[in-house]
Amino acid sequence: MAIAAPGQLNLNEAPTWGSRSVDCFEKLEQIGEGTYGQVYMAREIKTGEIVALKKIRMDNEREGFPITAIREIKILKKLHHENVIKLKEIVTSPGPEKDEQGRPDGNKYKGGIYMVFEYMDHDLTGLADRPGMRFSVAQIKCYMRQLLTGLHYCHVNQVLHRDIKGSNLLIDNEGNLKLADFGLARSFSNDHNANLTNRVITLWYRPPELLLGTTKYGPAVDMWSVGCIFAELLHGKPIFPGKDEPEQLNKIFELCGAPDEVIWPGVTKMPWYNNFKPTRPMKRRVREVFRHFDRHALELLEKMLTLDPAQRISAKDALDAEYFWTDPLPCDPKSLPKYESSHEFQTKKKRQQQRQHEENAKRQKLQHPQQHARLPPIQQSGQAHAQVRPGPNPPVHASQPPIAAGPNHHYAKPRGPAGGPGRYPPSGTTGGYNHPSRGAQGGGGGGGGGYGTGPYPPQGRGPPYGSNAMPGAGPRGAGGSGYGVGAPNYPRGGPYGSSGGSGANRGSNMMSGNRNQQYGWQQ
Amino acid sequence: MAANFWTSSHYKQLMDQEDVDVVQPLDRDKGITLEDFKFIKMQMASYISKLAQHVKVRQRVVATAVTYMRRFFVRKSMTEYDPHLVAPTCLYLASKAEESTVQARLLVFYIKKIYSDEKYRYEVKDILEMEMKILEALNYYLVVFHPYRSLVQFLQDAGMNDINMTHLSWGLVNDTYKMDLILVHPPHLIALACIYIASVYRDKDTTAWFEELRVDMNVVKNISMEILDFYENQRMVTEERINAAFSKLALKP
Repeated sequence: MAIAAPGQLNLNEAPTWGSRSVDCFEKLEQIGEGTYGQVYMAREIKTGEIVALKKIRMDNEREGFPITAIREIKILKKLHHENVIKLKEIVTSPGPEKDEQGRPDGNKYKGGIYMVFEYMDHDLTGLADRPGMRFSVAQIKCYMRQLLTGLHYCHVNQVLHRDIKGSNLLIDNEGNLKLADFGLARSFSNDHNANLTNRVITLWYRPPELLLGTTKYGPAVDMWSVGCIFAELLHGKPIFPGKDEPEQLNKIFELCGAPDEVIWPGVTKMPWYNNFKPTRPMKRRVREVFRHFDRHALELLEKMLTLDPAQRISAKDALDAEYFWTDPLPCDPKSLPKYESSHEFQTKKKRQQQRQHEENAKRQKLQHPQQHARLPPIQQSGQAHAQVRPGPNPPVHASQPPIAAGPNHHYAKPRGPAGGPGRYPPSGTTGGYNHPSRGAQGGGGGGGGGYGTGPYPPQGRGPPYGSNAMPGAGPRGAGGSGYGVGAPNYPRGGPYGSSGGSGANRGSNMMSGNRNQQYGWQQ
Repeated sequence: MAANFWTSSHYKQLMDQEDVDVVQPLDRDKGITLEDFKFIKMQMASYISKLAQHVKVRQRVVATAVTYMRRFFVRKSMTEYDPHLVAPTCLYLASKAEESTVQARLLVFYIKKIYSDEKYRYEVKDILEMEMKILEALNYYLVVFHPYRSLVQFLQDAGMNDINMTHLSWGLVNDTYKMDLILVHPPHLIALACIYIASVYRDKDTTAWFEELRVDMNVVKNISMEILDFYENQRMVTEERINAAFSKLALKP
């Protein structure tokens, strides 16, 4: 064995094969946590490089190394692209791990395998949800183009991502966007003959064909999700926030029209068509609802939100859309402002604290009832990023004095579920990729110091999505970070099951056919 | 673009024959020769096939499992890692990697069915523990390319995709997994070598077709010779000879 024997460490050299020890890295802090694993920000001791370590939990006694992890590793090992997260290596924990009672564990691998990823500062949802954040048109084009480029690369290489959503799109401070969390991804063959599970893709981003029960599908499923994200970026909030599958389909039909054999040949033969078929005729209203979008954006969005997957635009064709070739052009990623790190998990937590702060304020009758919603982009072209920085939440280089690094008391009540309704309900498996105390970049106040006393406008404690934000609901809620904490077994708390019911699905069989349990909205 | 053979880890991991033909020091100490080593691997490849028939997985899974097993023993000694555990575990892992998952307990059930001998019986926990060691030894490179896909394409291209030729050449490809060819040569060349042998055997003139392919015919012919040599040697191998190899392995140092 090239790795160290138990008790010894081989910190210095990488074996020519086999895996290095996790001790080659110094864990800086846990930045995400779920029932199914943790994500740490860590520094490679030898090089000083900052990485993200995603732990693969090995707690399924019956079927060994999770097949979802095998899929993810297989896929990530073959994808090499600037818009796809890079799996740098896999490391194991040396020596016997201790179990909960502190007894040495005979199986040194149990709980001791980590995927090492390049470190990314933000995820798209976390970034978009920053109070006052407003993306410029050129910036949205820039992100969209990178998203489509990465996805096109996956599709050409016959990989379906199957969980495209904002929190799985990681963004670094160079403005680069990378697809992450391939825990649900799998290879496909072009003939679409294989039966695949239809219980994939977070509900709000799930295409109608999956909701109608198809098991034969292809890259078009990812393109629907891209359409949802695109509309969300322009609109300022998610466009299909369904709370369960029937409602999800209904929301889609309300916007995109009820499908029939004319616009979607074969739809009436879909497995669940009869259960979900629209009860009344509905017209397509995309152009009407989004009439404030610019023409080219609307044109592209229409093609992405096409009900019939066979007619939906491909990633390649989308990249050729007028939208990306008209003024304002997509900006250079490097020209984008640098923001202090933010991940959905983190924004969510800030909101939670904000809520708590307001609870207190309320008691003192000081509440400012102000709702938080994302600001839609400024539609005018021209002054590309000048407007990117309007909000009270300045980018890293803003003038606010940095907050001292070190333990961040504002996060004193960190990962425990806090009650209360809200868009970002607490969940047992907060998956986010969160850095509460990123001292080095602690400027901007976003690091935690600012809330309550800082320049932040109080965020509404009310759910920005109206009545949908019930406790525990909302696919955003449990925030899988892009590093996919939940990946091995996938059942993240909130959105896929009952929130707070963490552990309910633990150890469930991880074969793909059983994934549906984990999305058990209605169960 | 990645995800084709030439940019794959499989391609980068192709080895020279002399690096494959190395008996680990611990095994050598037990008197295991290169020939013994090959016999044991061959025997384990057929063990994997036999198990695969019971659990009903595709040939592709078998091929991947055998490849894992052969890669594993380039790096690990049989003294430390019992081939009778490594082989079924490779099948277990390959079934996951090839999306045809087989439950570990099912595998264990058939292991017990095949081997009445106590010492070859392993339990689920043994397989799961070995799985991790195999993953690590393979450095988590799990994607393996096989000759089958190119075989079908080549036969079609050559207009030789009749049942007869397909059957013969497919069977030849299956037999190549009794050797280490998959660790040494690109899969499409193995496929071509099998087509070459099959066409000679069936008296089909493929010279013109091969010429148009612009592949190095010397390599194809060398692989073909290796395969034919293997068949030739096979005829002389007796069961006693194979048992002798295993009994050396069983020796306590």
